[in-house]
Amino acid sequence: MSPRLKISKYVIERLSKIDTNESAGCLFGLMYDGTLLVIGLSLELYENDKNTYNQLLLNLPAEIELCGAIKFDETLTMGSKLKEILQDVDITDNPLVITLNNKRDIKAHFLVHEKFEETKYDNLESNDMWKQFIHVRLITTLPLSCEATIAGVKSILQSKRKQIASGQVSFHVDGTSIYLFGVASDVGLTGTSTDLTIGELVDSLSPEPSKKKKQLVNNVEIIPVNLVMKTTKDILSEKLVKTAVKMMTTQRKPAFCISMPLKIDTLAIINRNTKLLDLYTVLVEASCRSLRLLESVLLEQIGQEGIGDGAGLRLPETFHYLPPDIGHFITRVVPKGIPDESMENERRLLHQQLALPLNKPLFRRGNAYFDKSSGRIVNPHEAVPVQPIKPDVTVAIVRGRYAYYHYMQDNFNDDGWGCAYRSMQTIFSWFRYQGYTVVEVPTHREIQQCLVKIGDKPSSFLGSKQWIGSTEVMFCLETLFGIQSRIIFANTGSELQSYTPELVHHFKTHGSPIMIGGGVLAHTILGVEYNSVTNETRYLILDPHYTGAEDISIIINKGWCGWKKSDFWNKSAHYNLCLPQTKASV
Amino acid sequence: MVRTVYSPEYCLQYLEQYASKEIFGIGLILGQTTAAKENVIHLARTPEEKSPDSGSESSYVSDKTEIVKNLLSVSEAWVADHAKHVTRMLPGGMFVQGIFVTSDEDIFEDPNQFSKVKEILYYIYKVLNVNQYMYGNCPYTNERLVLHMSTNTKVLTCKSVEVGATNKSTVIKPVEWKFVPKVQQWQRLDCYYEFDEVYPVIVKKSGISVKHQFQQILESSHKTIESSVMFIDGELKDGNEAIEQLIKKKKTKTNSKIAQQDVPKSMHVSLFVPFENTLPETVEYLECDGSIHFSGVVSSSVFICPKATISESIAAVKQDIIRSLASRFTMHCDALIDDNLLPEEKVCFNEPPRRVLVPVGSLYLCDYLFPGEAPAEALLSVRELLDLQITEAEVISDVETPADTSEFDALDRDASSEEMLATPQEASQFMYITGISFAMLVLIVSIIIHYYDTIMEVLRKLLTRS
Repeated sequence: MSPRLKISKYVIERLSKIDTNESAGCLFGLMYDGTLLVIGLSLELYENDKNTYNQLLLNLPAEIELCGAIKFDETLTMGSKLKEILQDVDITDNPLVITLNNKRDIKAHFLVHEKFEETKYDNLESNDMWKQFIHVRLITTLPLSCEATIAGVKSILQSKRKQIASGQVSFHVDGTSIYLFGVASDVGLTGTSTDLTIGELVDSLSPEPSKKKKQLVNNVEIIPVNLVMKTTKDILSEKLVKTAVKMMTTQRKPAFCISMPLKIDTLAIINRNTKLLDLYTVLVEASCRSLRLLESVLLEQIGQEGIGDGAGLRLPETFHYLPPDIGHFITRVVPKGIPDESMENERRLLHQQLALPLNKPLFRRGNAYFDKSSGRIVNPHEAVPVQPIKPDVTVAIVRGRYAYYHYMQDNFNDDGWGCAYRSMQTIFSWFRYQGYTVVEVPTHREIQQCLVKIGDKPSSFLGSKQWIGSTEVMFCLETLFGIQSRIIFANTGSELQSYTPELVHHFKTHGSPIMIGGGVLAHTILGVEYNSVTNETRYLILDPHYTGAEDISIIINKGWCGWKKSDFWNKSAHYNLCLPQTKASV
Repeated sequence: MVRTVYSPEYCLQYLEQYASKEIFGIGLILGQTTAAKENVIHLARTPEEKSPDSGSESSYVSDKTEIVKNLLSVSEAWVADHAKHVTRMLPGGMFVQGIFVTSDEDIFEDPNQFSKVKEILYYIYKVLNVNQYMYGNCPYTNERLVLHMSTNTKVLTCKSVEVGATNKSTVIKPVEWKFVPKVQQWQRLDCYYEFDEVYPVIVKKSGISVKHQFQQILESSHKTIESSVMFIDGELKDGNEAIEQLIKKKKTKTNSKIAQQDVPKSMHVSLFVPFENTLPETVEYLECDGSIHFSGVVSSSVFICPKATISESIAAVKQDIIRSLASRFTMHCDALIDDNLLPEEKVCFNEPPRRVLVPVGSLYLCDYLFPGEAPAEALLSVRELLDLQITEAEVISDVETPADTSEFDALDRDASSEEMLATPQEASQFMYITGISFAMLVLIVSIIIHYYDTIMEVLRKLLTRS
């Protein structure tokens, strides 16, 4: 029997926008509870002979598998490429084929006994998807030591995979006494009830079902897990070999050895209702995917000339990405220290494969999903209640993530003078999150140093509590990052409204936060809303003057981040806006 | 509260037998100390420095030596050496807890006698401290037991004497020694700890020191094992819980009708090692001349008083694995003629002795057999070091198996590159020769070690006479 079919809203939207000359694409999904959920897609690029989807699969969280194909025409004939893809579908006996006609109408079919059967499907809204599915992130470091040859690396990684797949490992949920482990060919669990579901585990991990969590939409829940290796043998096993310890020393002509801490950092996606016990095999698969990615990065390097002479193999580093339009994680492994600029081709290919636009970076180091906020709140505006969409209202807001910088952070008292600096730091963080730069967000002092250095300010400015404005922000962005900005002058607060189309255009094309300075205050504009009937403009404001703790509910409820009407601006003050521009790149 | 020690009743007969037959005797007290209860498992008389007749040379020597007849003439080194050898036979969690003396003097009252007692204890302490991986000295207490039975009155006195203290005054406390007619129950914990590691090796001009390699393996294994997490019967337990609570739970879980007196079954232990990242975040690249493959198992069976906590049991298992490794390595290296593997040797196989179990009372201690040695060899150590007679059938010699040649060949092929010199045939021949030479060596070395003092004494006497 064919499974029930659900398609993630992300996939539906991507399909409706797809523009390609390729004839076929792949669908990725997971099975849960008798349902096939389509989570992602990729294009089969014509110039590639290899089945790129098999490689791409390694970049996806474990549990997501190839589940079908996309056909970019309405006919239900089987091309050779399509056949090939469908043959590789293991997750279900009835591979899925989605056809798209010129009008971008989506039809889904299951291939049952070589025949296409059209099937209905449900959409899975993005918010439901993040509510129903949880990610498990496994991090561990395997000490690796082998001969510095392709064969050496291959064989050691194969043996590591075997070791992990043989039930010799146990997975430990960080900060708990919960261990999942292999027993003979079965799985055991200690530290909690064997009936526990993943969802219950997540709920028990967070101390209180906080309101904060509910306020944030598209909140990704992650269970941190590590790995421990079983060093004892199963006494009851029939295969028990009891040979006493011995040492064999083999000498041969000088060879090169490499040893390194190989860091496994891998994800799996899993439904809340899944039993925790079932996580074991999922994590084994996740580890193996990670090892394969790590292996390919090592092999690529060893294949290159020069490294054999000790020129220095680079440690593979793992990054997880969650591009906003895709709705699932993509994991990439790159050699440490190789600049993003020199890996543009690979990224371009990935963009093409995933049918992503080529005008903004998504897979640079800076785009990585984890570990950059250092305690700051990321995207507080997402917690602002969403208004229903009206046909006469145009809304354009910031694209991607940024961190909220405000007064008094980092134990630094800038109350009363640092608002423009903080607004600028918020902008800097946006550029970092979008992958445009890997430079650290500058401190107040670094900003002042920069302005002194370019001659904009006298040396007495350094260490002072003097304000800066939009032009200074522009200078700094230019000097420190090479980011160019557009400056808009508004003579009065009421004149600002005439620039609404410019702001809408800015958020739609560049998407960066805007710094606005006027009178004695600086603010960050995160979005703009224009009602063509009432001719009213509202602004999504992030206020850097907040001096309180990193508490999202206060920030939202007290209006430190929220929509403001035009009367928010002082009618008699001049305003300068700094609109940071982005360059098309990947 | 007075420290109380529980001992099996046969120990009393053992003491009485010596006290009535001989005017003087000295030996070791073996046992287990836990916070809840202290048990003695065995008393083992230190073999006389005179040797039994075994070889032609030694029988000649033995006639010349005098039998030690009093405490003051006992060699501290000899008793300490006994303690060192006995420690190898103890599973983790068991220690040499002190000494017993049968004599007609009051060793606690006579200052000369007592200072001799302290000297012996201190010497034992020092010798057992040499190799930390042997866990020779009980880590939980520095108060050693001294048990005395008067040969005249058969009166027993037991006291504890502090060793290794920094201040000069030695703490001496009375100890209550209780003989228990009922056989002490032990919870057995079993595991097979597996090694399978490959290390790169750098050969210097002088070759590779086997001892050094073993030492490195020991150090890194110690670190790994110490950091590991232990499950009992597949479950992570609360460290403060007593073992007997687990036994109860097990019983209620299975069949409560099973007679209470049933010997509790062995619990299976598994160890899990977390990967602690101590390596620098870079790829290390080095020129090496080959590799070391260290593989195989250490079988571990520890016996724990049911009143002991889970934490104490875990510590005992960890000690056992490390102590067993250290014992094998020491025995192996002591038996080597040449510690160095020379640069010309392409493949070299080092097979340390393997563990066998020997029954003592209601539990098992262990012994080690070199490749080619028969289980009967263990009878010798049991008789010599534990003063016990057991039969060959009682030795459990299959907890570990010796490496067979075919396995060596397989390893050999695994490791072989285009450059291998030793063909499998040559290798097995090599293996055979190694086996024989080990056996020979063990024989010679053990004779020398065993009779070292006697030989020296005879030589000295011969020299002074002439």
